[in-house]
Amino acid sequence: MLTVVVSGLAIGMLYAAVALVYNVMFSTSKVLSVTTGHIAMLGGVFGAWFMTGLHLHWVIGLAGAIAVGALFGGLTELLAIRRVLNRSDEHLWLLSTLALATMVQQAVGLWWGTEPRPFPRLIDQTFSAGALDQKFWLPIALAALMAIGLEVFYRRTLFGKLFLAMSEDAFAARARGVSTDRIRVLSYVLSGALGGLAGFAAGQLTFAYFALGLTLTLNGFIALAVGGLGSNVGALIGGAALGLLNAFASHWFGGSYQQTIAVGLLMVVLLLKPEGLLGSKNVRPV
Amino acid sequence: MKVRWSKLLIRALLCSCAVSGASAALAQTVKIGWLSSLTGPLSSAAIAENQGVQLAVEEINKSGGILGRQIELLTRDTAGDPTKAVNFAQQLAFSDKVQFVIGPVNSGEALATTPILARAGVPNIVIGALDELVDPAKYPRAFRAINTNLQWISTANNYATGTLKKTKVAIIADTSGYGTASARSAEQLLDKAGVKPVYVVLVDPNKTDLSDEMNKAKAAGADVVMPWSAATGLLGRLLNARGDMGWNVPVVGHPALMAAQIRKLLNKPEYWDNTFAAGYQSTTYGPDGKLPAPTQALVDKVRGKLGGGEIDVLFWWVALGYDTVKIIEHAAKTAGSFDPAAIQKALESTKDFRGVYTSYSWSATERNGFPDANMAMNAASTFKDGSFKPAPR
Repeated sequence: MLTVVVSGLAIGMLYAAVALVYNVMFSTSKVLSVTTGHIAMLGGVFGAWFMTGLHLHWVIGLAGAIAVGALFGGLTELLAIRRVLNRSDEHLWLLSTLALATMVQQAVGLWWGTEPRPFPRLIDQTFSAGALDQKFWLPIALAALMAIGLEVFYRRTLFGKLFLAMSEDAFAARARGVSTDRIRVLSYVLSGALGGLAGFAAGQLTFAYFALGLTLTLNGFIALAVGGLGSNVGALIGGAALGLLNAFASHWFGGSYQQTIAVGLLMVVLLLKPEGLLGSKNVRPV
Repeated sequence: MKVRWSKLLIRALLCSCAVSGASAALAQTVKIGWLSSLTGPLSSAAIAENQGVQLAVEEINKSGGILGRQIELLTRDTAGDPTKAVNFAQQLAFSDKVQFVIGPVNSGEALATTPILARAGVPNIVIGALDELVDPAKYPRAFRAINTNLQWISTANNYATGTLKKTKVAIIADTSGYGTASARSAEQLLDKAGVKPVYVVLVDPNKTDLSDEMNKAKAAGADVVMPWSAATGLLGRLLNARGDMGWNVPVVGHPALMAAQIRKLLNKPEYWDNTFAAGYQSTTYGPDGKLPAPTQALVDKVRGKLGGGEIDVLFWWVALGYDTVKIIEHAAKTAGSFDPAAIQKALESTKDFRGVYTSYSWSATERNGFPDANMAMNAASTFKDGSFKPAPR
C-alpha cells in the first residue's frame, strides 16, 4: 500500500512540476501553452541520450537537459506566442502551440524511436528499495524544491518581481519602462529550463518516451486547474491529488477507470470552485 | 500536296501509336500496395517487415518479375493512424488500381481497411493477428499470413498449464482494445481447460510502476503470470517489478516479451530469465544450435540491410514481410494471371506453400494460413540475432 501512495505521489509531483511550468508561462503571457508537457519529454529524452548515447556524466546530462528545455521554451515564445499575441487574436495561441507540440513530438519520434527507451540510474542504489526507490523520490523532491525556488525568485529577485508586475497588469508594467517582450521570452526560457529539469528527474519513472508530451500537458493542466491558476502551492496540491487519485483508482478498481477518475475529479472541482482550490477570483471592479 | 501531307501525318501518327502501345505493354507492371506504419507507435515491427518485403521485391524483379511483369511496390506510411490507413487503402484500390495489397501492420488499422479492400475486390494479404480480420464470406479475398491471436494465446496457455503444470494463473493485460480482447480470450480458453485465473487485471499501458499489481498477484497465490500486451514499457516494468520484489514466478505470454527493447529497459539482465513467450519453429534454434535452413539463408541475405552486425529485431517480422511477396508471386503463377477472381481461387487451393516464416495452407472456408504445428515456445533471455532457443520442456 505504501508503494501505491508513493508511486501515485511521484507521478503526481511530475504533473505538479508541469503545472508550475504552466504558471511561469502564464504569469507573463496569459497563455496556456500545449508545449508544456513536451518540454518535460525533451528533458527526459535528451537527458537519456546525453548519458547513454554520448556517455556523459549525469551532471552534464542534467545541464544538457535543462539547456534543451530552455531552448525549446524560448523557441515556443518566438514561434508560437510572440506574433500571435501581437495580433491579439483571441485564442490562436492554442493552435500555434499545438502545432509546435505536434511537430516536436513527431520529430523526436523519428529520431529517438517510438518505443520507450531506458533512462539510466542516477544515484547508486539497490533496486529492491521498494517505496524508497529514487525513481519516486527524485520527482517529489524536485517539485517541492521548484515551488520553494519559485517563491524565493518571485519575492526576492528583481526579475521575479518583474514577472509578478507583468502578470498583474502588463500595460502598467510597460508604462513603468519594463520591456514586456524581453521579460516574456525570459519567462519562457526559465519555464523551459524548469520543464527540462522535471523531465530529467522523472526519467527513471517514465522512461525516455517520445509520446509523453500530450499526457503531461493534459494532466499538468488538470493539476493546474484543480490547484488554481497562478498559485504554486495550488499546483503542488493539485498534482498530488491527481496522482494519488489515479493510484488509488487503479488499486481499487483496475486500470480501466484510471482516466475517468482523473477527469471526473477535474469536473467536480471546477463545478464547486471554478477558479481552483487556491486560485484567486479575477473580479474587475467597474 | 495537302492531301499527301495529311495522309503521311495520319500514317506517322498511327505508327507511333502502335509503337507506344507495344512499349506500354512492355512497361506494364504489377502494382503491389504496402500499407505499413513505418513511423508512429509500433513502428519497429513495420520497419523490419518492410526490409523483408523490399528484399523479396528486389529478388523477384531481378529474376524477371512475376509472369514477365516487374513489381512496382507502392509503400504508404500509415503512421499507425486508422484514418490515414483508410485514405491510403482507398487511394491504392481506386486511384492507383493496385493488383494486391499487403497489410496494414496494426490490427486497429486493418479493422478499418479490410472492408474497403474487400469492397474493391483487391486481394489482401493480412498481417494483423486479431481474429476478426478474416472472414471467407465477408472478405473473400483477404488471406492471413501471420498466426492468429488465438494461436498466440493457446500456445502460451498450453505451455503454462500443460508443460509447466501451473494451476494458479494471474492475467495482466493493458486497457487497449487488444489487451482487453486478449485477456477475455485467454480467460475463456483457460476456462475450457478447467483452469480459473486467481487474479485478472487491466492496466493503463503508461502506468509507471507495476509493483502493486504484482504484489496482488503474489498475494492471490499465483504460480504463473501471463501478460497480454504489446506495450514494451508495461512489459518492461512488469519484469522489473517481479525482479525487484525477488519473486521467481515464471512469466508466460505475448511475443512482445521477447523484443530486444525489453532487454534494455530491465534493471538487471537476469530479470529476463524465467520468461517465456509464444514464438515460431522457423525462428527457433534447433538442438544443434542452428536455425532452419530457409531462415538462415534469409538471415544471411538480409543482414547487410539491417546494419551488418548483430540483428536486434525479432527476425520473424522480416521473414513474414518476405513471405507476403512470395505468396503473391505463388498466387499469380498458379492462377496464370492477375485476375482477382483467379488469384482468389489460386490461394484457396494452396496447401503447404513453403515460405521462410512458415508453410501456408488456405481453403475455400479457411482464411488463416498459419498451421498450429509451426507455433513454438521460446525463452526470452536466449535472444540472439533475432531468434531464440526453445523454452524448456
